[in-house]
Amino acid sequence: MSAGVSFEEVAPGAAITPLVKRPTNVQLFRFSAVTWNAHRIHYDTAYAHTEGYPDVLVQSHLHGCFLVQAVLDWAGPRARLRRFSWQNRRFALPGDVLTCSGKVTATEVHDTVGLVTCELEERNQDGELCAPGWATIELPRATVMGNDHGA
Amino acid sequence: MAPDWHALHGSVKEHVGRSTRQRLGPMSAAQFQRFAVAVGDLNPRYFDPEAAREQGFPGVVAPPLYLTSVLGWQAGPAEDELRPDGAESEVMAGVPLEGVRLMGAGQEVELSHPVCDGTDVTLEVSVDDVELKHGGSGQFLILRLLRRYLDDRGTELMRCRETFIAR
Repeated sequence: MSAGVSFEEVAPGAAITPLVKRPTNVQLFRFSAVTWNAHRIHYDTAYAHTEGYPDVLVQSHLHGCFLVQAVLDWAGPRARLRRFSWQNRRFALPGDVLTCSGKVTATEVHDTVGLVTCELEERNQDGELCAPGWATIELPRATVMGNDHGA
Repeated sequence: MAPDWHALHGSVKEHVGRSTRQRLGPMSAAQFQRFAVAVGDLNPRYFDPEAAREQGFPGVVAPPLYLTSVLGWQAGPAEDELRPDGAESEVMAGVPLEGVRLMGAGQEVELSHPVCDGTDVTLEVSVDDVELKHGGSGQFLILRLLRRYLDDRGTELMRCRETFIAR
């Protein structure tokens, strides 16, 4: 995790520090367990073959979690995630190398807080887009203190 | 056996706008920390009360997608009651979806307040929209659900619109 950025330090075009994730079978098992997801597609390779996939699949929500981690790691300890969305475009498998990156697309001051909108993307080792995402984060403003509420 | 897509579309459409509520109860730091560990996201705000307070939170907080990633909050069915693919029979917002496979296509979340250890959460689910589509591999439904997560005073903590493809 970085020390983070303040609102005044970012401008449209600024890059989100890339985050590389390498999902494993153990990771998928634990994510299924903690989300109470018993679908075989995430742990039963023979079943995944019956659906035409080469191996078990990374969970839809785990793609979203990777993108959230990337943007909050970049934004740092005072950032708050306000809005986030993602879409599942392509499956990913254990052993894939998934790189989450992005850039700032807009900044605005809303009341007393600084809002930063980012476009995100998760691509596999072949450059294929697995999940695009969009985030709005609240960042501390250098001139405003006491920005202490939120998710 | 292939579902009767027109009938299914009609029965889901009748539920658009209706909502169901379920009390999830107090959130547990151990549970949302396990979630964070499974993701591989060790942000101190999820684990370290002191670090979380320094970041302006009242204590450790749940990862943003914890609530919207958990598929079941109750004990769930016995193994022999699961479908052959391992999933539970789909009942969404009170709508039975027998014989249908749902795939998550993504979420849009809005976060208003942090979810902390002990936050008592109630989930309100409604069907936002349903469309019957005709694709190359046959008919399918696009379902959009709205989930609102409320605390015990009725304050909205977060909301999530999730799109599912039902085949």
